[in-house]
Amino acid sequence: AGVLAAHKITASSPDTDLPTVSGLRKMGVNFTVSNKDTVKNSDVLFLAVKPPIIPFILEEVGPDIEPRHIVVSCAAGVTINSIEKKLSTFCPTPKVIRCMTNTPVIVREGATVYATGTHADVEDGKLLEQLMASVGFCTEVEEDLIDAVTGLSGSGPAYAFTALDALADGGVKMGLPRRLAVRLGAQALLGAAKMLLESEQHPGQLKDNVCSPGGATIHALHFLESGGFRSLLINAVEASCIRTRELQYLADQEKISPAAIKKTLLDKVKLESPSLSLASASKVSLFNNKSHSSKKN
Amino acid sequence: VARKGACRRGGMEAAELRVGFVGAGRMASGLARGLLGAGKVPASSILASAPSDKNLDAWRESGCRTTHCNLEVLQESTLVFLATKPHVLPGVLQEIRPAVGPHHIVVSLAAGVTLQTLQRLLPAGTKVLRLMPNLPCVVQAGAMVFARGSGAGDREAALLKSLLSSCGLCEEVPESYINIHTGLSGSGVAYVYLFAEALAEGAVKMGMPGGLASRIAAQTLLGAAKMMLETGEHPAKLRGDVCTPGGTTIHALHQLEKGALRATVMNAVEAATNRACDVAED
Repeated sequence: AGVLAAHKITASSPDTDLPTVSGLRKMGVNFTVSNKDTVKNSDVLFLAVKPPIIPFILEEVGPDIEPRHIVVSCAAGVTINSIEKKLSTFCPTPKVIRCMTNTPVIVREGATVYATGTHADVEDGKLLEQLMASVGFCTEVEEDLIDAVTGLSGSGPAYAFTALDALADGGVKMGLPRRLAVRLGAQALLGAAKMLLESEQHPGQLKDNVCSPGGATIHALHFLESGGFRSLLINAVEASCIRTRELQYLADQEKISPAAIKKTLLDKVKLESPSLSLASASKVSLFNNKSHSSKKN
Repeated sequence: VARKGACRRGGMEAAELRVGFVGAGRMASGLARGLLGAGKVPASSILASAPSDKNLDAWRESGCRTTHCNLEVLQESTLVFLATKPHVLPGVLQEIRPAVGPHHIVVSLAAGVTLQTLQRLLPAGTKVLRLMPNLPCVVQAGAMVFARGSGAGDREAALLKSLLSSCGLCEEVPESYINIHTGLSGSGVAYVYLFAEALAEGAVKMGMPGGLASRIAAQTLLGAAKMMLETGEHPAKLRGDVCTPGGTTIHALHQLEKGALRATVMNAVEAATNRACDVAED
């Protein structure tokens, strides 16, 4: 989106073989295997590790967090409170922001929400918003809504992909070549979404506008209703949200034994490179330890 | 004879209009009660015929005139509603045909009897219209549609609409919509009663006395319908307005969606409409 120059971004990961790593390198992002280096070179620190790893990363980089740092966690189910607690042993007033985004940030049509922590200022939130707005929609919410957002727009692309796959099947069944069917299905959803976003009208009204009396569309919609289409979608959002809460609860209970993880990490580290610091090795569970950062201008 | 003259000259004015009903059953009395209730037509101007006195007593009590002679209705009235059971109608039409003249406006309420059939059985050029009301006409909250035959013009349509608006919503439509109206609103009233009953039962289950629950259920439907009609807003939007995030309403709606209520209702309208079409072809 041109918001940031590549050389102002630093990313770190212990595992340099990941395809994402070479992708980042190609973009001109500074790459390092040291999390500490990333923290030192950054003002805004995105923690993009899998949720169980967050506590270890925080332990590792905690000492290097300074008042200027804005720590942004994208980890599902990890509360602001838990991050602030961990960091407070190192830094009295850590600036923490929690955010939930989704995969279409890749094509700059992401849906992102964020909640600011105790010591993050309005400007800190606005800075994050500015960054994330460059890759889609971004708005601030109360932290207790983030699980619902996960259920809706976090998981949402998956629902859409499933729908698109099925729509394409429908097209193929009625005679369309697969590639064309996929293309048309995706464009139909894209167009509909755009119409809704740009319209003042209720989706129900927009639906009515497509349904001529006794026509093809209303016949099709009847099938959707008969199959409980709407309730399936409601169920999906609900299930994703509830599961997010469960995972958060489990994490809070610290069901994952820290000792168990540390041991496997330690083993891995010893195998690959004896000089690496402990918490950064994580190939065991496909964890990608990567941080973006930017310098304030 | 003087009366007939008055009919021809001034019969189009509602105040002087003489209204007749051939058949005095539920639907006829519903319409008549609506007309009377709204003060559109004085009771003395209404004449109803029926084979027996069984139905006619109630009419007399309202001040209407009654007879056992269908022909008399034609002779005394300008605007004539044909409100017999559908299978009886052809015979009745044969009977009254000699008395039907160019001043008459004949409005058939018989379900499934097409304008084509009506026009075939009446003198050529007769002003014929076909009306499909629904039961709440009785309380002046009906939904009615009518279609005009080839002999009926704008004046007749306007007169009918003006009179019947006293009984509720009255719209002119192409004849092809009449069966759909049956499925939507003619039978639709029964769907609403079913829904109201179920609402009340839910409340009873949760501990409310049945009588109270019933009255509240009815008022809820009335209020929601009134909001739709008065705001003109899309029902989906009105629905959203009631749903606070995470609140009671959205939880309940989810249950309705799980039960595929929408599809079931669509099925009902479709079934009734198709049945109306089938019956018409018999």
